[in-house]
Amino acid sequence: MSTAAAVRPARLSLTDTVRVGASGLSARPLRSLLSALGIAIGIAAVTSVLGISASSQAALIAQLDSLGTNLLQVQAGQTFGGSTSSLPLTAEPMISRIAPVQVESSVATVSANAYRTHYIPSGETNGIQVKAAKTNLLQTLAGSMSEGSFLTSATENYPVVVLGDVAAQRLGFDHWIPNSLVDIGGQEYVVAGIMSPMPLAPDIDRSALMGYPQATKAFGMSSAPTTVYVRTSPDQVDAVGGVLPATVNPPNPNEVTVSQPSDALSARIAANDAFNSLFLGLGAVALLVGGVGIANVMVISVLERRSEIGLRRALGATKGNVRNQFLAESLLLAGAGGVAGVALGIIITLIYATTRNVQLVVPVSAVAGGIAISLLLGGIAGLYPAIRAARLSPTDALRSV
Amino acid sequence: MTAVVTSVQPDAPSDAVMELVGVRKTYPGPVEVLHGIDLTIGRGELLSIVGPSGSGKSTMLHLMGTLDLPTTGSVLIDGVDVATLSDRQLSSFRARTLGFVFQQFYLIDGVSAVDNVANGLLYSGVALGKRRSAAVAALKRVGLGHRLYSPPAKLSGGERQRVAIARALIARPAIVLADEPTGSLDTQTGQEVLSLLRELNGDGTTVIVITHDPAVAKAMDRQVTIRDGLIVSDVARTLEVAR
Repeated sequence: MSTAAAVRPARLSLTDTVRVGASGLSARPLRSLLSALGIAIGIAAVTSVLGISASSQAALIAQLDSLGTNLLQVQAGQTFGGSTSSLPLTAEPMISRIAPVQVESSVATVSANAYRTHYIPSGETNGIQVKAAKTNLLQTLAGSMSEGSFLTSATENYPVVVLGDVAAQRLGFDHWIPNSLVDIGGQEYVVAGIMSPMPLAPDIDRSALMGYPQATKAFGMSSAPTTVYVRTSPDQVDAVGGVLPATVNPPNPNEVTVSQPSDALSARIAANDAFNSLFLGLGAVALLVGGVGIANVMVISVLERRSEIGLRRALGATKGNVRNQFLAESLLLAGAGGVAGVALGIIITLIYATTRNVQLVVPVSAVAGGIAISLLLGGIAGLYPAIRAARLSPTDALRSV
Repeated sequence: MTAVVTSVQPDAPSDAVMELVGVRKTYPGPVEVLHGIDLTIGRGELLSIVGPSGSGKSTMLHLMGTLDLPTTGSVLIDGVDVATLSDRQLSSFRARTLGFVFQQFYLIDGVSAVDNVANGLLYSGVALGKRRSAAVAALKRVGLGHRLYSPPAKLSGGERQRVAIARALIARPAIVLADEPTGSLDTQTGQEVLSLLRELNGDGTTVIVITHDPAVAKAMDRQVTIRDGLIVSDVARTLEVAR
């Protein structure tokens, strides 16, 4: 009579399966917490490694973008005979006639040393170079002043210097004091300001810069530049780089060296990637250990809960219901561990980003991948115990207490 | 072989809810526990299976509860031979047709009394809200209206068994199999449980109580006594009660 209806098995809804799995976990909170922790640590390691590298790369890329990749640096190279050549006086006017060149500036080395006072022994030069600079150097290098002001068309005619970041430190300027003096070639120079670090021109950081007219007046320097900095339209960088040697020194183009300072920054971005794979490997090992931990806990759980399995079978649970219950437990454990791990990874990345003063970047692939990998691990770890639980015969399960 | 000493069959055996025909059960060893049981249980009976330990009572319970299959012979429930059903179909049978009360309660730790009872409807495809409200009603019926949200660990032995009985009642099964249901209750609570089972029987449910306690067995309308895997007596006391 009612047999046909009674024989049709009811399906357990997904929410019921999850609820049953969750109740199994909440009955043993400490054990669940500890076994989820293994996965959490692995996922946190992977997420934070990816997050930290993405954040620092984003910072490098942002720096590169703000500095621009369209800066070229022109220097005198070597002659065929091996002696140091110099750039001709006409270099700058010739360069500025190349159509895609937006702006160019130059520095020239002055054969003098800078000291804080004339009492300093002349040997202690601190590696600081004295250079003459054009007033548009700061603009060309996309640099900025930390304090004070750069050389102007007025101050370039007088004993006034601007210090690079490193040079200022080595001369003992923690910060800029207006009207403070340094000694260059036995003459006192007023420090007009201190520049911020210039990643594209590290040698400027270690220099004291004065105007060309003052350098010519005081040291009899010829006004031929040592280094010319050239900004071009971004899409013409290679073309300009190709014609620069012949433009600068038509008789001897081989004596001119052209380089692109942003190459160094690009190399740093690439170097980061190689380093990451090591930490990702460590994260993967942690994940594997976490997965084994979950499998272990699930096997023990099935052994301990034989009577519960028997009871559920008596209440009408099919083998599939029992299998799904334990699989759901394992997935919930691993999933919770994965979510906690991603959260922890983001927090670690946030701490890194805040202390290093870079923007927080967490790749979506790290978040989604972290959770997906933990669920996959949970599924694999839970499958064998779940199948064992399902295979248990109801009478054996009920007898075993 | 089927040594039926006394056989007083109830009046309506044609409407049998459960039939055991030549049932033998052999466990690996080999040990034969049941030596050929023939038993017909009519719809709406209140029946006890009584016997000393080792007589094969628990094996009978497992076979009648479709938790295990006979080695030879057949168990028919509602005219269906359970050996012909798949595991999924048997599970469904248990969920809707059979209710179990075990001596050891088998309550799930860390789950409140209400949710333990609601589990009795979990595998019948009933929604959570209905399961919970039915569980509250069932718990009130067994006198545990004040213990709805207590975990099993905070209940006394008697209270735990009443929770387990509420769980067996909740799905309103056609047959309730009770394995020593009063085994861990005091006399008064035991009487309450027996009258509860009797009340359930009054609603048309077939109640089968498996016990070693002759006092409990005598409270039932029909007593089947087994010893060493054979039915030794089968007595209805309907007339005595009526007298």
